[in-house]
Amino acid sequence: MRPLPAAGPAPARVIPHPEASHAVTAHLGMVIFLASWAMLFAGLFFAYGLVRSRAAAWPPLDQPALPLALPGANVAVAALGSAALLLAARPLRRGDPRAAARSLAAAALLGAIFLALQARVWTSLWAQGLRPDGGPYASVFYTLTAFHAVHVLVGLGALVVLAWRAWRGSRGSGRPVPARLWTMYWHFVAAVWFLMYLTVYVL
Amino acid sequence: MSVPAHALVADELQPIHPAPTSFLRRYLFSEDHKVIARQFLWAGLIFLLLGGSLAMLIRWQWAYPGRPVPVVGRLLLGGSGGVIGPATYQDLFTMHGLIMIFFAITPVLIGAFGNFIIPLQIGARDMAFPKLNMLSFWTFALSQLLMILSFFAPLGPAGAGWTTYPPLSTNVGTPGAGQTLVVAAIFVTGAATIMGSINYVTTVIRLRAPGMTWLRLPLAVWGMWLTAILNVLFVPVLGSAALLLLLDRSFGTQFFIAGAASVRGGGDPVLFQHLFWIFGHPEVYILILPAWGIVGDLVSFFARKPAYWYRGSVLAMVAVTVLSAVVYGHHMFLTGMSPLLGQGFMLLTLIISVPGMVLVFNWLYTLWRGSIRFEVPMLFTLGTIFVFGVGGLTGLFLGDISLDIYLHDTMFVVGHFHFTMAAASFLGLMAGIYFWFPKMFGKQLDQRLGRVHFWVSVVGITLVFGGQLLAGYAGQQRRLYDPFEYTFISHLRGLNRWTSYLAFALFVGQMVFVWNFLASALGKGRAADRNPWQVGTLEWTDAASPPAHHNYDHIPSVLRGPHEFADPAVRQALGRDWIGQAEELPDPVASATGRA
Amino acid sequence: MRRARHLAAAALWLSARAALAAPRAEEGIGLPRDVSLDGHRIDWLIHFTIVSTTLVFVAVVAWMAYAMVRHGAGHPAAHDRGESRRSALAVLVPTLSIFLVVDGNLFGHAVVDLNRHFWNYDGAEADPAAVRIEVNAQQWAWGARYPGPDGKFATDDDVVTLNDVRIPVGAPVILQLTSTDVIHSFYLPNFRVKQDAVPGSVTRLLFQAKETGEFEIGCAQHCGPNHYKMRGVLTVTTPQAYQAWLADAAADARRAHDPDDREANWGWAWRTF
Repeated sequence: MRPLPAAGPAPARVIPHPEASHAVTAHLGMVIFLASWAMLFAGLFFAYGLVRSRAAAWPPLDQPALPLALPGANVAVAALGSAALLLAARPLRRGDPRAAARSLAAAALLGAIFLALQARVWTSLWAQGLRPDGGPYASVFYTLTAFHAVHVLVGLGALVVLAWRAWRGSRGSGRPVPARLWTMYWHFVAAVWFLMYLTVYVL
Repeated sequence: MSVPAHALVADELQPIHPAPTSFLRRYLFSEDHKVIARQFLWAGLIFLLLGGSLAMLIRWQWAYPGRPVPVVGRLLLGGSGGVIGPATYQDLFTMHGLIMIFFAITPVLIGAFGNFIIPLQIGARDMAFPKLNMLSFWTFALSQLLMILSFFAPLGPAGAGWTTYPPLSTNVGTPGAGQTLVVAAIFVTGAATIMGSINYVTTVIRLRAPGMTWLRLPLAVWGMWLTAILNVLFVPVLGSAALLLLLDRSFGTQFFIAGAASVRGGGDPVLFQHLFWIFGHPEVYILILPAWGIVGDLVSFFARKPAYWYRGSVLAMVAVTVLSAVVYGHHMFLTGMSPLLGQGFMLLTLIISVPGMVLVFNWLYTLWRGSIRFEVPMLFTLGTIFVFGVGGLTGLFLGDISLDIYLHDTMFVVGHFHFTMAAASFLGLMAGIYFWFPKMFGKQLDQRLGRVHFWVSVVGITLVFGGQLLAGYAGQQRRLYDPFEYTFISHLRGLNRWTSYLAFALFVGQMVFVWNFLASALGKGRAADRNPWQVGTLEWTDAASPPAHHNYDHIPSVLRGPHEFADPAVRQALGRDWIGQAEELPDPVASATGRA
Repeated sequence: MRRARHLAAAALWLSARAALAAPRAEEGIGLPRDVSLDGHRIDWLIHFTIVSTTLVFVAVVAWMAYAMVRHGAGHPAAHDRGESRRSALAVLVPTLSIFLVVDGNLFGHAVVDLNRHFWNYDGAEADPAAVRIEVNAQQWAWGARYPGPDGKFATDDDVVTLNDVRIPVGAPVILQLTSTDVIHSFYLPNFRVKQDAVPGSVTRLLFQAKETGEFEIGCAQHCGPNHYKMRGVLTVTTPQAYQAWLADAAADARRAHDPDDREANWGWAWRTF
């Protein structure tokens, strides 16, 4: 019989373990989500670039310059959070949720510190008279940092829940996948912050 | 027939979950992609009707500016005695555009068909993330609710045009809560789209049945997948624009405000246009790629002939996907863009016509020397090719800067994008509905009513949007409350009036479909066969009509592409002109000697 | 400020009424009458593209119709996947031919027309006869500003009009446009040109009349409920009549100038790009 063109048996496959396969799918979904969300931040950075390129002076002469120290410290805080989450991966794989819980809690604590430092930056600038409705410079600063802070807050909430579950050893605490996905998320948030520090604060 | 080992693995990777039994989990908060598809279908069709009704009011205004709307006027516009005022008029065309694009065509074409056909056609039991899928629909429903609420806001709904250009869309131009609600609805619907699209992209990559290689995917899946990629990458950019606009409206930030209302120099109104069109031009292809995919498959199915140069069609769709990201500037030729940049965008825009023409020629060659069956889905498919031809060719005029200087913001633009988005996408969507309805609902639509619906639609669409092209050619600007304020177009009253009469007829003709759809979906209706169209894709060959909760008892092992028609070997072995994607071809020698 | 708005509205109403009957109506369904030096370039390109795309469309539809008539259910389908090199060529050759003829013609003409004519601002600025006008759009009227005898903008002798732009025939006219509130678009159908007026930035428009008469200025960008009423009149006169009008108006302008009326003094020093 003449074989059908473009037809034939399925190519041989390496047989995966169901759980590993689901983990790959979940990771892929997370990567696609983060790529998507990166475009949202790209839109915001684009807005910043265009608005700033049109401004006569940056910062305007009557508005305060942005501080460098506290936001810079936050770059380190976010990076330490990422490191703590990397440390949590191994005990989760080993099946030691208690050890993982400590790393997760440390990361959550670092998230809280990040937000506290950022709040300090906001209040000090607010006290110097910088308000969101004070023109494009203030718009860019408050919008970009606040939108980023919302992401930190979401990550913080997730880390607290993960840490709590791991500590209690409750349902799902043995599965390393959620922690790994939230680790990816945290890396993303930390990377965005680094970029934001360079562009909004330093430049 | 024994089940091959790799198929057993696939079964194990996607275990069968029992169907939920409670009403809530089964029909409302279902995680079943087929139920979610039907939810999107209903939600989208209702808004399609709503958006169409708004269009009728606009057409009434153009035919008889300032005269009370008959029949429904006093009911809808009691305050003005049934007359559409200028402020109401701007709300009408704004909401018409937004509803049609984001809340009608998108949910039906992408939400309903994407959800329904992707898992079925690639041989999966469901989406990769069923919970996210459910969340996507309910987020979308929330955005629809926001749209409805905006109609009841004190100053009316949004009025800044569907493109929502600031500063008109900021408090400078539209201070009402309605505009804020609508911008929020755009943001929320964007979130819903992103959730859905993450699912589509992941599902096609991860859950294809064994043997379902990339080049064995139906073209409809290719169209959906590429659309989902565009959605994932560019809807967030719209999200950023909507977010900044919301902040400008609610918190006094100054991203888009300039001129008299600005503080310390203000921002840049054109910034919004950049963000909007970085999303907006891919969006045009987001709305046409699924239709192209459906057309590509259906042309082959009903010409009973393999799709001509399948790889060429796939490559063309991929090329359009890539190019669509770099042509957006052609919407902004007149904003004071640098000439060099403008000419670059013009060149890229003209280049995108090449893959478009490749697709059309592939469809024509597929028809050529076929054995064409004029079933209702095929009629709509042929209609789609016809109107897409007009839409694509008129696009050349607008992609060219010097012609755009004259035609920009005229009715020519309106006619052009209606020929692509409202004609080609709409007819493609209808082709899909008539084609998959038996699989979705397990019943047949009435074919005779379908033919009536087709002729009314294709003739009506061509004449109505053709009338718009003519008005634009004569220079009539779009969005004019009373175009005849201008002397140079005052002689177009007759043209506008006739276009309106035809639009009313087109709208009334759609009621044939409404009746047909409701009677078949909710009434008793004739039960559909498993494979009424005699085609080889998995949903028709390996699943019941409608499919079981888990789609496939055993995940099929795919052996060939989706368009296997007119193969002499198949005809000899099976006595028919098609073979299923997962159907084993019996050895003719073995079956002749009775050893099978 | 409110008084100024009222005055502006009254002026808009009066000038619109006065102007309503003036420009001539068009006849038939087609392009408006072309009274510009360069409009014929756009008309030619539109007509060439209409003819060529119509030919393509008719050929495609005829082919489709032929297939539908001859290759119906009674016709045995060929088993052809179109995967051969010849099949690909059968698609690519007509595609690229159409692209080269239709798109190539569009691109080539557009680049030449834009750089030599529609966007040739350097050439126009160098022309001693060039007329410079600043246009400020606002909801829902066009303000126009002439430099007056001193030749400078944003000075006391500027001539300012509302919905009433006057130009001499046969001289290049350069507009610089902006807007106070929302985006508008300055549209001259009889000259085949339009350009957005964007708040916060200045855009340009170049055209030249070859006939005298009165023609309409439209707004092409949705700018609020009364977008449809944002109509002005462009009056093209002989250079002598134009100079006489400008001299009269400049004398009036100097008398009427009020340095404290910030809303009326929207001019700017002529921008170089």
